[in-house]
Amino acid sequence: MSDLIDKPASGPRPDFIRVEDFSFFYGEKQALFGIDMRIPENQVTALIGPSGCGKSTLLRNMNRMNDLIDGVRHKGDIRLDGTSLYDPSIEVISLRKRVGMVFQKYNPFAKSIYENVIFSLRVAGRSKKSELDETVERSLRDSALWEEVKDRLHDSAFSLSGGQQQRLCIARAIANQPEILLMDEPCAALDPLATLKIEDLITTLKQQFTIVIVTHNMEQATRCSDHTAFLYMGKLIEFGKTMQIFERPQQPETEAYITGRFS
Amino acid sequence: MKSEKPSSPDPKRFEVSRATLWFDRFMGWAIRLGGIGVILAVFGIFYFIGKEVIPLFKPGAVVRTSSVQSEGKPLILGVDEWGELPFFYSGGENLLFVDGKSGTRTEFEVPGLDGLNVTASSYDPVNRRVSIGLEDGRVGSFLINYRRVFENGEAKGVEPSVVVEPWYEIKAGTGPVTALSYGDGGDSRVIVVKRDDGVTQAVSIVRLGFKGGLIGGKKLSILGEMDISPLIEGKAVLLRASQNGRLVLIADEKHAVSYFLAETDGVSKRQAFSPFNGGKIAQMDFLFGGVSAILTSEKGTQQQWSLFRTGENTERLFGPTKDFPNVGDGRKIFAKSQRNRTFLAGAGRELSIRHSTSGAVRWHGTVDLEPAAAILDAKGESFWIASETGEAKKFEIKDRHPDAGWQAFFGEVWYEGGKGPVYQWQSTGGSDDFEAKLSLVPLIFGSLKGTAYALLFSIPIALLAAIFSAAFLPPDVKRIVKPTMEIMSSLPSVVLGFLAGLWLAPILDTRVPSVMMMVILIPLTALLVGYLWCRMPLSFRNRFEGGAEWMMVIPFLALAGMIGWWSGPLIEKMFFVYTDPGSGLKIADFSLWWPQATGTKFEQRNSLVLGFIMGFAVIPVIFTIAEDALSNVPKSLTAAAAALGANRWQVVRTVMLPVASSGIFSALMIGFGRAVGETMVMVMATGNTPIMEWNLFSGMRTLAANIAVELPEAPVGSTHYRTLFLGAVVLFAMTFVMNTIAEILRQRLREKNKLV
Repeated sequence: MSDLIDKPASGPRPDFIRVEDFSFFYGEKQALFGIDMRIPENQVTALIGPSGCGKSTLLRNMNRMNDLIDGVRHKGDIRLDGTSLYDPSIEVISLRKRVGMVFQKYNPFAKSIYENVIFSLRVAGRSKKSELDETVERSLRDSALWEEVKDRLHDSAFSLSGGQQQRLCIARAIANQPEILLMDEPCAALDPLATLKIEDLITTLKQQFTIVIVTHNMEQATRCSDHTAFLYMGKLIEFGKTMQIFERPQQPETEAYITGRFS
Repeated sequence: MKSEKPSSPDPKRFEVSRATLWFDRFMGWAIRLGGIGVILAVFGIFYFIGKEVIPLFKPGAVVRTSSVQSEGKPLILGVDEWGELPFFYSGGENLLFVDGKSGTRTEFEVPGLDGLNVTASSYDPVNRRVSIGLEDGRVGSFLINYRRVFENGEAKGVEPSVVVEPWYEIKAGTGPVTALSYGDGGDSRVIVVKRDDGVTQAVSIVRLGFKGGLIGGKKLSILGEMDISPLIEGKAVLLRASQNGRLVLIADEKHAVSYFLAETDGVSKRQAFSPFNGGKIAQMDFLFGGVSAILTSEKGTQQQWSLFRTGENTERLFGPTKDFPNVGDGRKIFAKSQRNRTFLAGAGRELSIRHSTSGAVRWHGTVDLEPAAAILDAKGESFWIASETGEAKKFEIKDRHPDAGWQAFFGEVWYEGGKGPVYQWQSTGGSDDFEAKLSLVPLIFGSLKGTAYALLFSIPIALLAAIFSAAFLPPDVKRIVKPTMEIMSSLPSVVLGFLAGLWLAPILDTRVPSVMMMVILIPLTALLVGYLWCRMPLSFRNRFEGGAEWMMVIPFLALAGMIGWWSGPLIEKMFFVYTDPGSGLKIADFSLWWPQATGTKFEQRNSLVLGFIMGFAVIPVIFTIAEDALSNVPKSLTAAAAALGANRWQVVRTVMLPVASSGIFSALMIGFGRAVGETMVMVMATGNTPIMEWNLFSGMRTLAANIAVELPEAPVGSTHYRTLFLGAVVLFAMTFVMNTIAEILRQRLREKNKLV
């Protein structure tokens, strides 16, 4: 696992995540149609599109979370750093350790702040006190929560505000130092002030992680993403630099969406 | 859908229709009525059960009702079974009956005296037999019969009559008969007689029995007379023959008691004992049943001595079994009940009604006359006392359940014939003089044991199954499994009991080693297959999606089960060989080996059978509720844990179990409730033996089964009947306490793991 953490210092790779002709089915219903996409390393890529366009589905396939749903199947492939997610010799659990995930609704466990952060280490069987303490401080600092909670690390996670809980979830997701951080509408349940903090955080975090974020909020996409993909009806309509997508969309659907003609 | 817009809106459009209002009001009341009805029904049940149970704990009460005057000092006081017509005998020629209500006197001449003086007399209230001894050494007796007289369908009074029995000449000794006691056991009878001519004393035991030819009636005649004076140290003071006509107790002037046993071929002395450490014995009499005696010392100390065996093959001898509270100083009064183990005891004017089984004093009080004689009526509803001057008073006893009480229900009691105090339940017996054993402790124990074994089998299976179904099983399989389990819970328990008692028990009876092997092998196989599975290459394992690998285990488990079943007899031959103590024959049989090796019983209907079958009743309940609790753990949490790299078991352990813990706890409590209250399976599969041992291979009797088995045969309103209701109260209290504790714990768990 350590070779995954110690990345070679060869600079950001433009096709860190490669989605190759990827289709996805919930039973009989096809949710994604032949998506092709390259997500660059250490950049923020936003997935936008109207409700039900498949952006969350695509995101949740990047760590095979959709496997937990009954009756799903896929076609095509997704590669992380060249390795196929569906390689039969891959343990899905070790795959998920490479990919952290933050959910729409903050969902800390009914444990202390401390235990929430080190959950991924605990399940990996690591229990050295110094390592855990170190991880907690680093992760909470990285998620800009350390100053607020350092004196009450052993309080229940539920004693935090909503925005703090979501940042705790981010701290939890990055504690095991994944390569990729998937964020599924991370600010959907937060007030504007908390949203702002998360957005600041995303900008900081991209130095360490490759971030893929699903958002409904187009300002958010413009504020914090480098690349944007627009999905519509399960198809990738347009993918490019965020500035370009929002200022000079190539496709009429993209333009219609970003100008608010449908949502 | 577009329609034409009305030109002006309907002015009534904001009104609520009458029907809606009425319906709302009606439903409001209907629901309220239902709710109140439920509460009333619950209180109604409490009221009914309370009404049945509370009388058990009422102390006795005594009220004086009437008084009459007779003549002279009564040697004998007797009464009819309704307590209406006492009779007095002062040793003369006449027997005086005085009506308790009207004071009307009726005199009977004592038959067969031939002008001789009566020098001794005694009375046996059970047979209403007056025995008298004459100055010429003859003894005789007569029975007093009472007949209810009715007029216009109403009880008018009681009419006495006297039946004379033959006279017998006592050969041993000279002089008048100075004391005697007649023990009438129907076919076998004894008379113990003391003759004293002022210088020497002779005590003899006369055995009576029916002799006669094959044709014609058998005649009561003397089988033998034995002079037992040489066997007694000093002079005899008190003589008592027991109700069954076989035991004789003689207290001598040295304050020792000798116990003689009359058998068909003779009389022998079996034992001599000194109660009260050599203190003077003031009173001695057998209790109803004739196997226990109450002895009172001059100082008022009172003890019960009963016959019991101390060892397996030893003789039944008398031993002290109970100490009663001191009766006080003064003339000792004693009267035994003629239907149970109650007796009236006292000294001077201080009287008390006591019960020998529980050792309880049911009533204690002072009466307004100094009694010289006392008698309890046959129904135990009243007693009469008579003073030296012949004044007699009747007291009504209000004590319907003298054999009840805390000690009787929950304490260790030394029953007649027992080696020591025990907890025992045996509510009815074959004869009238049976001593009811009403300890609820063995039943409580049985309920706990049954529940414990049922839960021991079902909790692990049910919880593991629930976890498996909630977290591991593919959803399409789960859709079949869950309703199937729910159908299992709707199996009528009488069917389960039937299966347990008539099908499973006989199989398990001979196959215990097989079952043991299966219990060991099946989980081991599951673990082994799991381990091997982990060793398989990832590419192979990844071919089985979403928990389909569980199917791989099934053939191995089936194989393990079969191996277990077939290897049982082999194991039996190797380890469980019974050696017949008589012939030295070796038999490989677990059911014979177990009692020999452990000293405990092996019964066909045992806790193992019960555990298996109760599993069918309890597993679905626990499974369904626990599975719901686990499935209701928010997907966001399990997904978060999975996204953090937790494997399925880690997701279960770290996220699902803590969150679902309160629900799982509820499931366990409901399973517990089901097991405690289960009746039919317990009745049919446990053998219903109220014994107290944790032995896996013996049965039990639970409170619920006990109620089901005995309630139909308990007379309404009797102590037995009410005790069964008390069992229901105890059962309720047990579940209530358990549920309350569980609810508190559950709230704590929920508080600790709540998701806000």
